[in-house]
Amino acid sequence: MILNLFAIGLIIQLLGALVPLFIKGDKKFSALSHFTALAGVGVSFIGTLGMMIFQNAGIVGIFESPAWGVISLRFDMLALFFTAIVQLLSIPVLVYSFSYQKPYIEEGKSIRLPVFSFITLTISLQVLTIANHAILFLIFWELMAVLSYINMIFENEKPEVQKGSFVYFVATHAATFILYVFFLILHARTGSWNFSDFHLTNDGTALYYVLFALGFIGFGIKAGFMPFHFWLPKAHPVAPTYLSAFLSGVIIKLGIYGIFRVVEFLTPSDPWIGWAVLVISLISAIFGVWYALAQHDVKTLLAYHSIENIGIIGMGLGLGILGMSYGSQTVAVLGFAGALLHTLNHAIFKSQLFMGSGIIYQNLHTRNIEKMGGIVHYAPWLTAFFLIGSVAISGIPPLNGFISEFIIYNGLFQSGNLAPNYTIFMLIVVVGLALVGGLAVACFTKVNSIMFLGSKRTDFKKFNVSKAEYFSIGFPALLCIAIGLYPMPALRVVSGVIEGLGLKGFSLAHYGASFNMLPDFLPLTMIFVLLFALIGIFYGIKKFRSSRASGIRVSKAWGCAYDGLTARMQYTASSYADELNSIPANILLIKEHALVPQDIFPVRGAHFESHSEDYTEKKLVMPVYTRIIETFKKAGILNRHDIRVYIAYMLVALIAYCVIGFLWKY
Amino acid sequence: MEILSKILIYLIFIFAAPLFIGIVNKLKARLTGRIGPSIFQSYYDLRRLMRKETIYATSASFISRVSPVVSFASILFAGMILPIGFTRPLISFNGDLILFAYLLGLSRFFQILGAMDIGSSFEGMGAAREATFAVFAEPIYFFTLGSLAFIFGQTSMYEIFHSITLNDPSFLVFIAVASISVFFLMITETSRMPVDDPNTHLELTMIHEVMILDNSGQDLFLYQYSAYLKILIYATFTSNFFNPFNAQNYALGFFVYLAVMMALIACLVWVETMLGRFKMKSIPQYLLFAASIGILNLLIYSFFKR
Repeated sequence: MILNLFAIGLIIQLLGALVPLFIKGDKKFSALSHFTALAGVGVSFIGTLGMMIFQNAGIVGIFESPAWGVISLRFDMLALFFTAIVQLLSIPVLVYSFSYQKPYIEEGKSIRLPVFSFITLTISLQVLTIANHAILFLIFWELMAVLSYINMIFENEKPEVQKGSFVYFVATHAATFILYVFFLILHARTGSWNFSDFHLTNDGTALYYVLFALGFIGFGIKAGFMPFHFWLPKAHPVAPTYLSAFLSGVIIKLGIYGIFRVVEFLTPSDPWIGWAVLVISLISAIFGVWYALAQHDVKTLLAYHSIENIGIIGMGLGLGILGMSYGSQTVAVLGFAGALLHTLNHAIFKSQLFMGSGIIYQNLHTRNIEKMGGIVHYAPWLTAFFLIGSVAISGIPPLNGFISEFIIYNGLFQSGNLAPNYTIFMLIVVVGLALVGGLAVACFTKVNSIMFLGSKRTDFKKFNVSKAEYFSIGFPALLCIAIGLYPMPALRVVSGVIEGLGLKGFSLAHYGASFNMLPDFLPLTMIFVLLFALIGIFYGIKKFRSSRASGIRVSKAWGCAYDGLTARMQYTASSYADELNSIPANILLIKEHALVPQDIFPVRGAHFESHSEDYTEKKLVMPVYTRIIETFKKAGILNRHDIRVYIAYMLVALIAYCVIGFLWKY
Repeated sequence: MEILSKILIYLIFIFAAPLFIGIVNKLKARLTGRIGPSIFQSYYDLRRLMRKETIYATSASFISRVSPVVSFASILFAGMILPIGFTRPLISFNGDLILFAYLLGLSRFFQILGAMDIGSSFEGMGAAREATFAVFAEPIYFFTLGSLAFIFGQTSMYEIFHSITLNDPSFLVFIAVASISVFFLMITETSRMPVDDPNTHLELTMIHEVMILDNSGQDLFLYQYSAYLKILIYATFTSNFFNPFNAQNYALGFFVYLAVMMALIACLVWVETMLGRFKMKSIPQYLLFAASIGILNLLIYSFFKR
């Protein structure tokens, strides 16, 4: 019954993708396709929630294929959780996409392919999460890569778009290739293609560790852990904003989904696997946020913040693996719960922040935060919503980012007695997480204050925010407040996911056993409600007193009695972050270009700019890439412009394969 | 009945907050050979601010109007988590040491936003410094209190402070080390002398004072009161390390609390009189030093435990 609801929703979405293609007029097309898809996503989301709450459908076979056995879908709690994230975030992003396309339709740009591919992208993601068959999973994984690439080259006339999206294309295909190998080895070991049959235990052979590494790297490239993150800051800024929001909010979370699946398949029982994940994540978190602090392009900055938050999620994961390997249920539950909840939270606020930055981009046509400012006087509500997202992503109470970080902190504090000397290691991890929190506060105060506050640095006459755009950033903001004030439902869902993981050594006796291991959130909820109430009361008193008793006046800002402050004299983002960025300057690769007067007279065109480059990309990836390109250029002598030569190549290759196979058999 | 007594104690605590600074300022003046203001001077200042007109800059938005309130409220809640010398705090649950740090973070977040809202570079400078030093201050807190949390296996402040007993010699070392680094933290967070001079009159050299440059009247009242509360909260935090009497005896606990407060005031006054301000560039080093002595606790612990 509920499964049918889910399926009907998917069918409606597919109709929303296909039927409007036969309609004349881009305006009608866009409206129809977006809102049909929206309705479909809504119906599917209700189905998903129903399956999560009442009972899931288990494994549903679709059809039997001659070569690969039964192709089936699997509705377990983990799959449903990520499907729910996809569908929940599709709602505001689809609304935003609708409003994003409007100016382009008026320009006369063809938007049929992007819209079509975006809706099919959402569908493919929903199927991807519930696929139980490795081949089906990989097909949809590829579809995801290709469709998001088609969306990414939306403004394909710009050279940076071509470059950035190509990096994404290459990275995602490298990841897919690694996953091919991963699933093939799994198939060889278990003799099945189904996710539900992949259960290996650590047999101490090297192959097991190779498998874990393959799975972690393959999915980790998609998720964006630190050494494999190089495509994120390239791809996010060039993508159209609705896709950036989706990419950061949802698509990289599927990498996390994959890593959860890897943990489920392999049930790691080695502490050092947990430590490896934990250390990689800690590095991702700290340097991700530090790189973010050095950026001026708002979308690049948010992309680096995604890396930071993926790092925090990974810390929860690593902690969970550690708990599993030492047989400590509490630590495992806390770690996994923190990771899962932070996945949901990050999907919510990151897509919201991206959409907020997109609204600004559409009005000001710049992504450089040094050129913004003063937006608060034109769009106060936009500022308020963006502020809510910023407070949430910095992990500050009373919003949802704090809840998940609180769980991870609790897990870290619990894990001190797992093994001797763990107190010291874990203390360092705790301090690392605290440092990330402090840096995130520094970064988001920078973003908010430079983008929205003060007086405007570029002259814009009007600032339009449509109702659809307000909905698309207001809806996630409300979710942030809701989960922050009352996290119990989300925590119930998350604990259900953990119980459904089917991990060995998890003899959780009854439903809700893992929920009871989570920290008690009742005092927190109480405090947050009181905090909101107190803020309201104080604000009321202040307003009343200042209007009645003492009075209010507006005057110019203090400038040491100098009365001619201009917008150019405001503090800039680079100055704001300068002192913090000077500490790891060697890693951030900060380059400064300045033309300053050497003489006593001013020079024309004096300027100063600094920007940071990605260490991984510049020092590790690009040298290898150029080396490969050069090698293949040398192989250009094989390139004869004659089809017969190519046929000969194919024949030679085929004969070689046959010979090898023959020798292999006999 | 118990909750009423807790609330009463907390109200007294809130009310006494400006007195701490008043005593510090008076003693500082006496030590430098001046008579100095009355110890109730901060109360007079607050009363004056209450009556003054509130002036907003032309470039200020609703952020300026909201942020003092948010900042003040979050500091109030942070104080509720803290055990005051000898009582069980108003709010105590597992993990409240994390909430304490993050509530102070919330107050800082809005203070910085309120400063940046004006759009003048003075506030920008102050806010940038505040954000920078806060990044280094967070690890200090987590190194000291976190190490104790790991040692005692507790994550609630009350439990941690009441696990410190006198029957183990190593705990005396904890007290010494932790109180030193928390004292450093206190100086940083409350913008006292070696880091920031509260009495300076050059905007370029201020940190905290320059952030509230454009606030006046009610807003300034709230900011000042938050600053007074913050310093008393940190002082109480430090004094809790010296409370191994396990809180059964109120009178004794109270006496210890007051004695430690006096000692802290003496330390603060001495430091502020004897030292000048550090260079801005050297403050991170000073903070990292404080953080690194925090980890000493754990090393000592593993040494004694064996």
